[in-house]
Amino acid sequence: MQELINIFAKAVFVENMIFAYFLGMCSYLAVSQTVKTAVGLGAAVIFVLGITVPINFLLENYVLQEGALAWLGPQFETVNLSFLSFIMFIAVIASMVQLVEMIIEKFAPALYGALGIFLPLIAVNCSILGGALFMQERAYSNITQASVFGLGSGVGWFLAIVAIAAIREKIRYSNVPAPMRGLGITFVITGLMGIAFMSFMGIKL
Amino acid sequence: MKFLQKTIEKFDPLFEKGGKYEKLYPLFDGFKTFAFVPEHTAHTGAHIRDGIDLKRTMITVVLALVPALIFGMWNVGYQHYLALGLAGEMSFIDNILFGAVKVLPMVVVSYGVGLAIEFGFCIYKGHQINEGYLVTGMLIPLIMPVDLPLWMLAVSVIFAVIIGKEVFGGTGMNILNPALTARVFAFFAYPTYMSGDKVWINTATKEGQSVVDGFSGATALGDLANAGTTQYSAMDMFMGFIPGSVGETSTLMILIGAFILILTGIGSWKIMFAGVLGALAMGGIFNVFAEYAISPEQQAFMAVPAWQQLILGGFAFGVVFMSTDPVSAAQTERGKWIYGFLVGFFAIMIRVFNPAYPEGIMLAILLMNVFAPLIDHYVVQANIKRRMKRAQVQTANA
Repeated sequence: MQELINIFAKAVFVENMIFAYFLGMCSYLAVSQTVKTAVGLGAAVIFVLGITVPINFLLENYVLQEGALAWLGPQFETVNLSFLSFIMFIAVIASMVQLVEMIIEKFAPALYGALGIFLPLIAVNCSILGGALFMQERAYSNITQASVFGLGSGVGWFLAIVAIAAIREKIRYSNVPAPMRGLGITFVITGLMGIAFMSFMGIKL
Repeated sequence: MKFLQKTIEKFDPLFEKGGKYEKLYPLFDGFKTFAFVPEHTAHTGAHIRDGIDLKRTMITVVLALVPALIFGMWNVGYQHYLALGLAGEMSFIDNILFGAVKVLPMVVVSYGVGLAIEFGFCIYKGHQINEGYLVTGMLIPLIMPVDLPLWMLAVSVIFAVIIGKEVFGGTGMNILNPALTARVFAFFAYPTYMSGDKVWINTATKEGQSVVDGFSGATALGDLANAGTTQYSAMDMFMGFIPGSVGETSTLMILIGAFILILTGIGSWKIMFAGVLGALAMGGIFNVFAEYAISPEQQAFMAVPAWQQLILGGFAFGVVFMSTDPVSAAQTERGKWIYGFLVGFFAIMIRVFNPAYPEGIMLAILLMNVFAPLIDHYVVQANIKRRMKRAQVQTANA
């Protein structure tokens, strides 16, 4: 149990997708105009990460890894399909995003309109593939750990995008110098937020 | 006073529209309104509720900082002579004089560099001078170690004023506290000058010459974070006879400042009170769960009584002067409680859990600065929802 809490806290704060790795920046910068849409996209990312990481974990451990196919029979013990991992991960992610898209379109059409192109683009959001690849690299020992890691990464990304959306709503009334308006100031804010998040760096859990 | 006013007014035509130094008008205006009430009045619907303006607010905070500054000067001298083994022979004046020689250049550099940038931006953008830097310029030297090279101080100030404030449009628009931005910049850019056990006390007799080789002058907080014990008593920590950044050591002097801020209504007592509550809560949790620590040092640190966490390190200074910054703190009343509580909570948590950064309060305040707009947003949304509900109930009853 303590192990799981550690993985979760680490994924949310210490190894935050945005502030520690700067992954998933495109939709983070583009959809953070208002808190409402940011919450929508953030929730979608939590959902996708929370589902794709465990599925990819199963794929990794029972299909792709060297010797992962041993359950089919002894003759498959030497098969190594890990060269397929990128394409398989992406296929899983893309199909999950399709699912999310259909769900949102059905139940929250307004949000669907507000998110626009960035909803299908979650499929190529680097933080999602990043989550799968981190899972592979860190070799989590069971599926619970993998799903907790996926959820944690999603929650970290959610926090980041919602926080910056609130800040951007606030600075809408600021007299930002003309060359800095829009994306420029957003990058500056992201950097400053990254400094604030450095407080968690080096925490050993 | 009359003479001064006449002298200043003599220069008026030079700076007004069409005058010789028209471009420098913001500079002139800044100094003039510093001494006298501005003569221009608002043209549109302004509703005056109080005689207080930005300049007076800022000056009050600077006044509240004076006890900490003077004590800081004395303590710099005291720690210096203590390290040399001369503490008994030196008088109060000796200590203060030594400290003043060390601290005043920091104040001058901080104000000089910061105000120069502010003036530059004002002239470039053609608006009046913002008074925001008055407080920041005083805070920055107080939160730096005494031996920080002055050029590093200047670089940090430049970063804080330009990236922390001016790119957002100047005073009142920044999202992070500028003084803390300066400190965090110096902290991550020049870590050897900002942490450890060599930087807090000036042990040199002449420039660059350390008489006391290998003298360790760790702060009480650094001691606790690394070894779990400290040689300083709680009374020393409260009074401030310990090494540390210039102005942060004496909890007593900070309390005087807090008293001034609360009395004049300039600092939010809600944030301060909630911050103390948050720190006590986290300290209490640590006390209860100390046995689960991962190392014996951490266990000893976790077992430090919760109230003692309040007087350790820069916690008091941060909560009183930094977290109450009205610009970067939460602005709704209920938000202030949440914001303050989380500042205290995270400060103690980072302090204990993160061995690399024992000074948790700085990073905790910056972290909560980042989330303050979000807290405000949800407090406002909750208010809207509640009032909508009330309105609906009323219409339904009517």
